[in-house]
Amino acid sequence: MAKPIDLPQGSLEMLILKATSLGPLHGYGILLRIQQISGKRLEILQGTFYTAIYRLERRGWIEGEWGESENNRRAKFYHLTAAGKRQLKVETAKWADMTSVVASVLQSKPEEV
Amino acid sequence: MSPLATLRCWWRAIIERSRIHTEVEEEFQFYIDSYAQDLVRQGMEPVEAARKARIQLGHPGVQKEKYREAIGLRLFDEIGGDVRYGLRSLYKHPSVSTVAVLALTLGIGATTAMFSLIYSALLHPFPYAGADRIVNPRVIDEKHPQILTWFALTPSQFYSFRKSVDSILGFTLAGLEITGGDLPEDVSAAYVTSNAYSFFGIPAMLGRGIQPSDVPDTGQPTNVTVLSYRFWREHYGGDKTIVGRTLQLNRQNYTVVGVMPSRFTFTETVGNADVYIPWAPNRAPGVFPWIKLKPGVSLATANAQFQSLLNQFKQETPKHFPDSFRVSVQPIIEPYIHRTGSTLALLFASVVVLLLIGCANCSVLLLARGEARHHELAIRSAIGASRFRMVRQLLVESLAISFSGAAMGVGASFWLAEIPLRLMPNAFPQEASITINFQILVFSIGLALFTGLLSGLSPALRLSQPNVSQIVQCTSRAYGGSTGKRTTNLLIGGQIALTFILLGVAGAAIAGFMKITSMRLGYDPHDVMAIRIPLKRDIEKNQQRRAIFIDQLRERVSTIPGVASVAVASSGLPPAPPFGGAPGPFDILGKQSKQPPQAITSLVSQQYFATLKIPLLSGRIWNQTENQRGDFVAIVNQTLAQRYWPNGDAIGHQIRVSALKDDGRPLSAASPQSGEWRQIIGVVADSRNDGLERSIAPAIYVPYTTFMWDSTELLVRTAGTPLAFVHAIRVALQSVSSDQRTSQIDDLEEILRHQPIWTQQRLFSILFSFFAGLALALSLVGIASTVSFAMARRTNELSIRMALGAKRSHIVWIVVRATLATVGGGIVVGVILNLALEKTLRHWTPGSVFALWMEAGVALLLLICATITCLLPAKRAANIDPMQTLRCE
Repeated sequence: MAKPIDLPQGSLEMLILKATSLGPLHGYGILLRIQQISGKRLEILQGTFYTAIYRLERRGWIEGEWGESENNRRAKFYHLTAAGKRQLKVETAKWADMTSVVASVLQSKPEEV
Repeated sequence: MSPLATLRCWWRAIIERSRIHTEVEEEFQFYIDSYAQDLVRQGMEPVEAARKARIQLGHPGVQKEKYREAIGLRLFDEIGGDVRYGLRSLYKHPSVSTVAVLALTLGIGATTAMFSLIYSALLHPFPYAGADRIVNPRVIDEKHPQILTWFALTPSQFYSFRKSVDSILGFTLAGLEITGGDLPEDVSAAYVTSNAYSFFGIPAMLGRGIQPSDVPDTGQPTNVTVLSYRFWREHYGGDKTIVGRTLQLNRQNYTVVGVMPSRFTFTETVGNADVYIPWAPNRAPGVFPWIKLKPGVSLATANAQFQSLLNQFKQETPKHFPDSFRVSVQPIIEPYIHRTGSTLALLFASVVVLLLIGCANCSVLLLARGEARHHELAIRSAIGASRFRMVRQLLVESLAISFSGAAMGVGASFWLAEIPLRLMPNAFPQEASITINFQILVFSIGLALFTGLLSGLSPALRLSQPNVSQIVQCTSRAYGGSTGKRTTNLLIGGQIALTFILLGVAGAAIAGFMKITSMRLGYDPHDVMAIRIPLKRDIEKNQQRRAIFIDQLRERVSTIPGVASVAVASSGLPPAPPFGGAPGPFDILGKQSKQPPQAITSLVSQQYFATLKIPLLSGRIWNQTENQRGDFVAIVNQTLAQRYWPNGDAIGHQIRVSALKDDGRPLSAASPQSGEWRQIIGVVADSRNDGLERSIAPAIYVPYTTFMWDSTELLVRTAGTPLAFVHAIRVALQSVSSDQRTSQIDDLEEILRHQPIWTQQRLFSILFSFFAGLALALSLVGIASTVSFAMARRTNELSIRMALGAKRSHIVWIVVRATLATVGGGIVVGVILNLALEKTLRHWTPGSVFALWMEAGVALLLLICATITCLLPAKRAANIDPMQTLRCE
């Protein structure tokens, strides 16, 4: 197993949006989904996880609804709203832009600098 | 990000607080449990797993706070807490809070009242549509620029005017008579052009307004009339079924088609109309215009535009205009601004002063209370409260006070704003109505914020820096730090200085009012009334016949039993500026000067001087024959005689008033040589003739037959209340000419009481006394609370002093001396400020009397009041039993 990496500021929100875009999930489900997709390489701080969910909900990008969990308990399931879908698209594009620019700078050869 | 979603989220978190909190907890519990189950699945003991999950994730009870912080409600929650804490601490010190709230209530209430008065009386007084664009076109006669002239338009001129403006209203007033009933009754009719309804944009209260179809393009105007609200109430008792009924005016039947609402009292500037009738050329030859300018047109542009138009009109109707003139349009609000602008400015300035005193008072109280809270604040600071957090909390407390004050103040302002309207009934537009509207609420909220911050800031800054170690080591009682003492002294001194100003202005206003009420008028207005008598429309152009007719009326009235004396006075009454309102030029034979001398010319009969009891100083008064002739004689007042003939030889000299020359207008009639030389045959004593606040102007009296218009005035001196004779006089006048009417009847003393300067000075006296009284009360409360708080703080020290043998009087002295020194300082600053402001104040209140003895009196009054206020709590403190106090420690 590779060494876990810390998330840069603000990217946790993006990951939550991505996780919920595949279907409604409860909070713990979102956490598991992110860890599963990332191959458990992301370290998610428990303290900030729910704060991020609350903030996304306030902004109207995800919406919670009470439903029944796999073990028949009441749980709150979050799904992506239309505004959230738009936001995810914007964020993804921005992220791709940023990483490609940063990568190209970092990969430049000494003679190019 | 949608702001709506945020708002919805906050709304739910605030309104459904407990439900949301349970949900957050439940959700988080599920999260913890899921995590624990995962741990079990990985092979951990269930108990151990639950423990680990709880340690890692925290207690679900804490989650709701994280939730509120995440959605951005932290500030809201904290301020909510501050507000609750603030209100609780206000509640815990009821006496301090009550006084502080009351101080701000008075200040904010008075300021809001003045603001709403200014708003509704000067900024938005008229209910008409586009009222700020309506102007009253006047022309200024280049020869007599101080005499303003209005002009009438003929129908064709009226229509050609219409093209260049947004809209134009034509109106003219006429006295009509209700016929068909038992007794003829006078009504004042306003003929208005048929666009009146669209011009004013005010719907009728009952029925409809006057509309274009009332005057068809061809043919006769229809006989319809719209009633004014007052006439409808008085004449018909507010009968709602009036529309459709018939009213007979001058033997013509008019159908009542509507009643205007009570706020609409059009032509209030000229006189109230009872009925509105559509105008047509056969009803009145010309109309006076009111013009609504197009949006964005400046007054200067309008003047230039109308000048060329009016020059053209002058070619057609030369008699409607002076020889050379320029146009000066006047917004309809301007006369009121001229009349009350400075009054309101002064009142507003004084309520602002009152508000500042209220703020200072509130600060003093907060500081004084803060002394007792040193301990609490020190502990808060010691356990980590930041200075910002403490300042914020203290400010929230003072804002709680100011907003309570504002809430009560706005309620009080509604009532306060009416006072000037009641006391100066003629000075404000009748159509102005004071209502609490959006602007006024915004103003008062702004005021509450401002006063809250102003009064809270210095205590907050001061108290938020407690000297923690020192305070925590001492007991609260023993701590006698000097924190805030200087600020308190500054505030008390400032209060005293401002109070001094208000007291000084109030004193000057009262002295001015007393001067006016006890003024030597030079004539006796007691038991004299003035009766305005309109002459018939088709009056005699012949001067002699008109003169004889007026004399017959006078003669007939003088035979009524109880009537002592009757005089004719065609040119207004003293002290109102007569004859066009201002002194005019005259010539003296044999004296040439570049600047012609100026005098007020009065047209009177020979009985005038006896009726008003104006004594003859030398010479004689003209006789009946001279009076009928009108020419060649004149009487002057003492001021004129002394100015031009200081040696007392005025009699026999010749003077000439060219303005008396026959101007050929259809309604006037003049004697053959009215504008020629006349001999001065007598000198009479001075009487007030140029307003009560100004000095007496030179005056020339000539027989009224010299120049007559279509109306005249009788001055009647009676034995007993003059107005009781009105009926007998009406009967007497009708015995001379069966349809002779009277228009306006006034008691002379009543007229004096309605002089603007009289009402203004009375208003100033009452309001300033009120404001100054409040200011004094507030300052004294401030002083009393400072002294008692200082006492409470120093009980220990004073007890020790007493135990060591200090006398009670000495104890009292050391307690009050600091405060008295502050008061003295405040008075000195107040005197300096008052002297500095005197010029401005004189300009704003021309009727007030400023004198040095008054300053001294005010200073003495303040000093005495302050000393008593200091001594009362100090005396009580000096009665403490030192042993008891020291044993308590």
